[in-house]
Amino acid sequence: MRRVPAAVAVLPACMIIVALFGGALVGAVRTSLEPGPAGLAGEVSLDAWRAILTDPAFLDSLLFTSWITLASTAISMIVAVGLAHLIRGRRRALWALFGLPVPVPHLLVAVVVVLWIGPAGVVDRLAGALPFELIRDRAGLGIMLVYVLKEAPFLTLLIVAVLGPEVRAREEAAATMGAGPLQRLRWVVWPRIAAPLSFGSLIVAAFVFGSFEVPLVVGPTYPKTLAVLALDAARTSELDGQARSASILLVTAAVTIVCALLLVRRARADE
Amino acid sequence: MIRRTRLARIGAWAVALAVSVPFVILLLQSFVESWRAPAVLPQRFGLRAWSIVLAEGTAARPALVNSALVALATTTIALFLAWPAARALGESRLRRPTLVVVVMTLPVLVPPYAVGTGLAEWFIRLGLVDSLFALILAHMVYVLPYVVLLLASGFGREVESLEEAACAMGAGTVHRLRLVTIPAIAPSLALAALMGFLVSWGQYGTSLSVGGGIAMLPVVLVPFVQADPPVAAALGSLFLAPAVFALIVASRQDRMN
Repeated sequence: MRRVPAAVAVLPACMIIVALFGGALVGAVRTSLEPGPAGLAGEVSLDAWRAILTDPAFLDSLLFTSWITLASTAISMIVAVGLAHLIRGRRRALWALFGLPVPVPHLLVAVVVVLWIGPAGVVDRLAGALPFELIRDRAGLGIMLVYVLKEAPFLTLLIVAVLGPEVRAREEAAATMGAGPLQRLRWVVWPRIAAPLSFGSLIVAAFVFGSFEVPLVVGPTYPKTLAVLALDAARTSELDGQARSASILLVTAAVTIVCALLLVRRARADE
Repeated sequence: MIRRTRLARIGAWAVALAVSVPFVILLLQSFVESWRAPAVLPQRFGLRAWSIVLAEGTAARPALVNSALVALATTTIALFLAWPAARALGESRLRRPTLVVVVMTLPVLVPPYAVGTGLAEWFIRLGLVDSLFALILAHMVYVLPYVVLLLASGFGREVESLEEAACAMGAGTVHRLRLVTIPAIAPSLALAALMGFLVSWGQYGTSLSVGGGIAMLPVVLVPFVQADPPVAAALGSLFLAPAVFALIVASRQDRMN
């Protein structure tokens, strides 16, 4: 049997990705350097970058996006650890029900959340009007709820996959030696789940940081997430709208790329 | 001893149901015709939302067709592009597999709207904007990495030795592929195809930025969430269908293993 060398075999896939992704970044940089209304066409200018960096709406958006990212990721992690404890060792049918949100698009989770807890939603009717507002609230609770609903099951399944019967046996051993539930979590379970959990959480954080369709459906009108702010900029009639939009998106891309490189360094350290 | 109480079991099932039931009820919500507050149950059920979704002349029907076409085309092309790479990765023949995996997966973490906007700049120059081809290219950035990694999990020493045996018995390339390789990696192939389809099917940011003028299911769905919830529920049910299908396939495969 003749074999193509491995380095050649990976070329088609890698080249497509490098060309499309690299091209996208170059395209966005080029758009972001287009001059504003005062400049001449074809000139390179930093007007759009200056405009977004001095725009209070951009800074609010950056803070807001960081807040929902950190909060959703942290809550998902905590919920996942609790849920993993609850479902491990149980029937596969339970896992399947539980895993339902994992392949479901984010947008659909947002739609379901609105139909349930939005104005005139199912919960509103069952409980009377809710005393608090989760949809389009300024703290971004609706967005966070969508991400926790979608990502906590994902993280749970990642954790449960490494919690086999041998971990249970060690926990039993620790328990007979008098370790309480928290001590068992800290010294037996945590060393096992730390790697997959932090790996999964960085992925979740990157997704939340770029969140776009979810805040469009359940997010507040102010502040907006960075991606939605970029959409607004692109849709204004102002001449530098496209350039500002591209600058904002490059900021989100830069943050997620840094996240991804952290992930790689971690994986290298674990190897 | 660690006791596993009945309470914990009930709790586990309650959480699982709470997570999954809203998605099931979504279909029911699409048949709501009249539901005035503060009634707990709808006053009337009917087919109004579905007749809007399936009617000719609305954006919903082309959106469904376009989304399915783009997802099928992207997945099929991705499978061909991914095959050699998945094979090299799965058989651990690469000297630096981490580098390849990083190059492939890094873009997945970058927001689709950002990648789409950057690509749109090129597509406008090349006259490709607002075409299904542009959508396929943009979706490829997110579909290909999943397909490569899932397909790679199917290849390995076992498949290799089966192929060598077939080769020794005189099977040609086509025969070997059809009778040995594909059946041997069928589970991974199915999962890779399903995942590829789902990733493309769910793309919002890339579809909006690259295919502004082309109706795609998620893009068409968003305005209905506020304007007409039953229609959003009907479109949402269609949007959900492939994920449910994938889950059923995955859990059946799980049981067979």
